[in-house]
Order: sequence, then C-alpha cells, then structure tokens
Amino acid sequence: MIPVLGRSLVLLAVLVSVVGAMVGFAAGIRPSPAGRLWTRRFAYAFAAAMLLANAVMVYALLARDFSVSYVAQVGSRQVPDWVAVVSLWSSLEGSILFWGAILGVYVAAATRSLGDRHPEHMPYAVGVWLACGAFFSFLLAGPAHPFATMLQVPADGPGPNPLLQNHVLMIVHPPCLYLGFVGMTIPFGLASAALLAGQLGHDFLRTLRSWLLAPWVFLTMAIVLGGWWAYEVLGWGGYWAWDPVENASFLPWLTATAALHSALLVERKGVLKGWTVTLVQASFLLTILGTFMTRSGVFNSVHSFTQSAIGPTLLAFLATALLFSVALLATRIDRLSPDGQLEGARSRDGMFLLNNLVLVLFTFTVLLGTVFPLVVEALRGVQMSVGRPYFDRMSVPLGVALLLLMGVGPALPWGRATTAQLKNALLPPLAGAAVFSGIGLALGARNAWTLTTLAFGGYTAQVTLRELWLPLRQRLYHGGESLGKALVLTQRHGRRRIGGYVVHAGFVLIVIAIAVSSTMGVDKEVLLHAGESTELGPYRLTFVRADQVDEAHRTSLVARIEISRDGRAVGMLSPRMNHYHTQREPIGTPAVRTGFGHDLYLSIMNVDPATQTLGLHALLNPMVGWIWIATAIMAFGGVLALLPAHRRAEPARAPSQAPAAMALPQ
Amino acid sequence: MNRRVLIAGTALVVPLVAILLVGLGRDPHVVRSPLIGRAAPSFSLRPLGGGPPISLESLKGRAVALNFWATWCVPCVQEHEVLAGAARTWGAKAQFLGVVYEDQEDTALDYLRRKGSAYPSLFDEGGKAAIAYGVFGVPETFFISPEGRIVEKFVGPLTPSELSANLGKALEATP
Repeated sequence: MIPVLGRSLVLLAVLVSVVGAMVGFAAGIRPSPAGRLWTRRFAYAFAAAMLLANAVMVYALLARDFSVSYVAQVGSRQVPDWVAVVSLWSSLEGSILFWGAILGVYVAAATRSLGDRHPEHMPYAVGVWLACGAFFSFLLAGPAHPFATMLQVPADGPGPNPLLQNHVLMIVHPPCLYLGFVGMTIPFGLASAALLAGQLGHDFLRTLRSWLLAPWVFLTMAIVLGGWWAYEVLGWGGYWAWDPVENASFLPWLTATAALHSALLVERKGVLKGWTVTLVQASFLLTILGTFMTRSGVFNSVHSFTQSAIGPTLLAFLATALLFSVALLATRIDRLSPDGQLEGARSRDGMFLLNNLVLVLFTFTVLLGTVFPLVVEALRGVQMSVGRPYFDRMSVPLGVALLLLMGVGPALPWGRATTAQLKNALLPPLAGAAVFSGIGLALGARNAWTLTTLAFGGYTAQVTLRELWLPLRQRLYHGGESLGKALVLTQRHGRRRIGGYVVHAGFVLIVIAIAVSSTMGVDKEVLLHAGESTELGPYRLTFVRADQVDEAHRTSLVARIEISRDGRAVGMLSPRMNHYHTQREPIGTPAVRTGFGHDLYLSIMNVDPATQTLGLHALLNPMVGWIWIATAIMAFGGVLALLPAHRRAEPARAPSQAPAAMALPQ
Repeated sequence: MNRRVLIAGTALVVPLVAILLVGLGRDPHVVRSPLIGRAAPSFSLRPLGGGPPISLESLKGRAVALNFWATWCVPCVQEHEVLAGAARTWGAKAQFLGVVYEDQEDTALDYLRRKGSAYPSLFDEGGKAAIAYGVFGVPETFFISPEGRIVEKFVGPLTPSELSANLGKALEATP
C-alpha cells in the first residue's frame, strides 16, 4: 500500500513538473496572465507532490514498514525514532527523495514570494526550476526508486550507516547542505530567465541576489558543520581534508561568493551583467557536478557507481545543463548590455574585479585538484590522488589574498580615487595589521603564512569594524540617539550593507582560526597502562581504566581519562572505540574539551580492556572553537542582509530598466 | 551569438564531461596492490589443528590461491563454499591456502569442523603474513603463479567465475 502511494506521488511529480516546465516556457515566449497563473499552479503542484512523497517515506520509516525497499535498506527496529527520521537522507535513494522535498519547498517559496512581480522573467524561471524538478522526479521514478515493493518483507533491517548515528550534527548538517545545494536551482532559474528574456534590470537583479544569498548562507553553514562533524566524529583531529566530498560543497560556494560580489557591481555600475549571470549558472552546475562526484548521496561516498544506475543519469543531466547554459550564454549574453563603465584599478570597482578573479582562480584550482586523479587514470591508467600538499600550497596564498582584498576593497571609494584619498583610506588600517601580528608574535606564532594571515586579518578587521561603526557613530554623536535606538535604526536602514560587513568580520575570524589551528597545534601519541599519565601543554592526562560497554547495535571500548590542568582536576574525558555489529572496521569517537583558547582532543588508537592498555592520540588544537563561532557570525550577517529592507531608506541608484516590473498583479 | 563565450564554454565543458564519462566505471574503493607482478612474500605457517608448517617455497611449481579470512567476517562465510568447490576441481594444478586473519585459533578450528574444509588453513601468529601482504581487511585473495609471483589480488567475496578467471591468469603466467 505504502509503496504504491509513494510511487504514485513520484509519478505525479514527474507529470506536473514536465507539463509545468513546458507551460512555463510557453508562457515566457507568449506572455499571458493565464499562462503565468498556470505556471504557478504547476509549481505548487510539484511542491505538494514532492512533500507528500517525503511524508509518506517518513511515515514508512517510523512505522518500520519493511515492504518499502528503502526502509528495508536503511530502516531498523533497533534504532531510536530520530535515527529513523534521519535515515531519510542517510542513503542514496532517500537523499534524492529529500532533494525533491527541498526543491519543492524552494520552488513554492520563490513562486509565492515573487508572485507576478517579474512577468517577463518568472514563467521562464519557473520553467527552468520545474525542468530540474522533472529530472529529479524522473530519478526517483526510475534509477533511484525508493518506493519499490519488497517481494519478501524482511523482519528487520540493518539501520543506516553507523557513522551517521554517532552525532547529533548529522541531523543538522545534511538538511543544511541540501538547502544550500538545492537552493542554487532558484538563482539558476532566475539567471536563465534573465538570459532568455534578454534583460537584467535593477529590480530583477535584487531578486536574483536575494535568492542567491539564501542558499549561500545555508551552504556556508553546511560546509563548516560538515567540518565540525568530521572533527567531533572521525577522530583524526582535523576538520578539513580536501576530500572530494568536501570540495564538492566548497566549489559552488566560491562561485556563489564571487557572484554575490559582482552583483554589487551590476547594481552600482550596471556592468558585468553577463559575468554575474555566468557565475550564477556556474554555481548551480557545480552543485550538480558535486552531487555527481559524491555518488549523488552528496555526503555519502559509500556508494560507488557500479552499484547504481544513478551515475549515468546524473551525468546526462549535468551534460544537458552544461550545454544548455553554454548555449544560452553564447546566444544571449550580448543582450545584457552594460549601462555604465568600470573605473580603474585604484577604486573599489577594481578591487571587486580582483576579488572575482581570485575566487574564480580558487574555483579552478580546487576543481583541477579534484578531477586530476580522474584525468591521470583516464590517460595513463595510473591510480593517484592529489593530496593535501597541493591544496594547502595553492589555497593558502589565494585565501590570504582574499583576506587582504576584503580589507583594501571596502577601504577604497567607489570610482576613481586621488592619491591623497588613497593614503587616507589605506594607511590607518596598518595599525590593525600591526596589532594582530604583534599579538600573534607574542603568543608564539612563527610561521610566515600565519603571521601574514594575522597581519592581513588585522588590516581587514579594522576596515570592517570601522565600516560597521561609522553609521552608528553618526547617530550617536550627531543624531544624539541612545545606543539601543542607534543600533536598531542603523541596522534597519542599511541591513544589506551591515549584513555584508558582519559576514566579512566572521570570515576574518575563520581564516585566522584556520591559520592558527593548522600551524600552532601540538600533539603526541603515547602508550599508557592503567594509572599512568602523560603531559600535554598545561594538561596532565591520567588513564584511569578501560571499560567495555555493550549496546544493542554496538560494543564500545571506552577509555576513562582524568584531566587536570595546572594541578587542578578539571574533569574526565572518555574517547571510545565502537564496534558496530554490521561493520568490519571499528569506528572511533574522539572526546573533545572545547575552550576559548584551544581544544583538548583525545582519540583512541588502540585499547585493550583485558590488559588495561591504551594507545592515545592527544592533540591541543588552538582556536578551533572560533571557527564554529565565526560561522555563526557569518550566518547572522547573511540573515541580516536577507531581511526585507526598508525601501524608503535605500536610495535607488539606477533607474529601473524594467517598467513592466511595476505592473500590478492581475 | 557570442563566439568567444561559445568557444570558451565548449572548451571547458566538453573535456570535463568526457573525463567524468571515462571515470564513470571507476570504483574509487579499489586500490591496486603494489605487490602485483612482484615476488610473493615468503611465509612458513603452522596449519590449524597441528601439523608441520607449510611454506610458500614448498609449493613452487603450482599456482597458489592464498585467501585471508576470519570467522567474524560475513563475506568470508559467503565465499567459503565457492573456495571449497574450486579447491576440489583445481586441486591438481593449484594449491588453495587459507590464512586466518585476526581471529582465535579454536574459534576458527571449530568453524572449519562445522563448515568442512577442502584445503589447509594456516594460523598467522601476530599477523606477520597479513602485514607482509598488505591485507587491509578480509576477505582478500592473492593469486600466485607457479614461480611465486603475485599475479592478482581480489578484494571481497569471490564468485566461481571470478575465481576461475584469476586462477587461470596465475597458471598462464610464465616468465
């Protein structure tokens, strides 16, 4: 019963998305109120079908209905209900179904919020969204069908991948990543619509930018949450390894970041329209590439192509989307004519261009490192992998350059600057650079790149804080307002700008934290017998005993380690080694004591309760906690920029080029 | 039509799709053993249940299928019948050997008594042979030519056809 209901809903989604996409394109070519109305109806119908299909699957997972193939594959009577729900995105077919739900939510939300505001663009945009929806519902109907009926209904299932049951972050990270990845479909549709309609006016650009910013915020959080999960669960002491799965999420982030910045140039100067649209297209295409690269489980690289038909289908979709984008750009980019011109390098404009250049270079660097092993194997039949050294060597200078540009750009005025202006703008933040690198030196930083990062970080921090402080000061000293009122009014009247600088502040913090944590950590590996201790930094670690803990789905060996700092007991840490009954290799869970200065990170290499011996890997990771804090700051900034602005306070800097956009809803 | 965009776009897109297409059949989990084509590491191990040690040298002239296994490994249980059957058919040309990997001797012996065995299984004290062969997990099967070179390594449970194909390769491999 449940499989039939699920399959029917998936088929309904295929139907409404295919028809809806055709209606959308038709309504774009021959505009009519009825066409637009029906396009919207199909968009809602697609969303409803997808959400209902997901609801059916969640019900089946909770009811442990093993007649549904996906439930038989990942469900289990042994796991708690929250794991059963999380199983929705724990494996290939379910994750595609979940993708459909998120796409449905996005399409419905965008359709609803934009209504009839951009009548020349919207039918095309909805058409593109539904075309993507058609592909994903087709995947669910054919190559990755989660609702197949089990002929022999098993009594119980294996449960999801044990790694995913290990940490509560697994509830948050995948939905966040999907909201980022799938959300890129919306700006892709809007950018394609701008090309198809042959115009990118001021009003539509703002729409495009907001709908790009929303998934960008989620993607930013998802990338870091993924790193946090790796740090808390995988036990090797780090948070980023340039794994293809990680790169897959980083690539669209880079191009989307570039697009968010070039969109500002379009808004201010009316230039780089085609370039901005290209970056938006690229962000979407990279999410599909990423999905393809990670076997389309997105975060799940356990599946290989040989086991599923989803690889070729995804590749076909990627190739189609790539060719569609190239053809669209080649035929229509010239219609997006510029309304102004760029100033020279000695201006904020020039810095924006440089920032875009660095971000695109960064994208190519990571992309090359990710696909290079494939190239080598295809050409020479040799297996190889591009390791951290390549990525670290290439990304550190690029990241540091971005950090400096984030300081220099906002310090410069728009348009051409005189030499005196340049001096006034660029010299004062050197104080911040000196302060930050001085603190670093005093605390023992000696690595040249770390010191450079600190100096550039200090420079940018000063510029950023000044940009945040200036409007506030204006209100406080000249307007005579109270601090609270000034804060509220400042953010209300310049949310986007302030949000942007808050994001910058968070980013400065992240880059510094990454530089410090990756160059200034200490670690040691020791063999301890019960009762023995070892020293690490200010800590004394005493191995008390090792216990065996038996649970329904796993047996864990837990090492109890007493921690004292400068002679005072501060608590107990219990890293564990888990043997899941369904897995060959044991999986360790580290124990982390997070602090403002540094984390104490303990991970088991081997442990034997019989002889009470412990091989311990202990690390002192400085500033790692700040990465998580800084991400929260960035997300806050992004959300602030997304909140609807008070229109009155935002002077229109370019006349609206789309008078039709003002048309009243029918 | 903007020719530059078209050319740049095509130059970027076509190779990328081509590379992904080639990579489609690739299984990223397979790591080729560097031992393939090299002389098989020698060993001399005591069979389960007693008896004189068996060394690789003593088997020169016959192909060897060296199967690392354990009683706790589900895929090993799956391939047990396949190996036992093949050992009976290929027995004249090839020697089948099991090596117990990270397991208790009596557990393994008990398992073989229940399941039956068609060839000797060796006890690898301290896992020295497993380390020499770079065993990552079980089951892993090494196919060794009559001259003592590793011709192929197979990861995971063997099917009859895969087993005969690999063993055929080992027998054909002459210097």
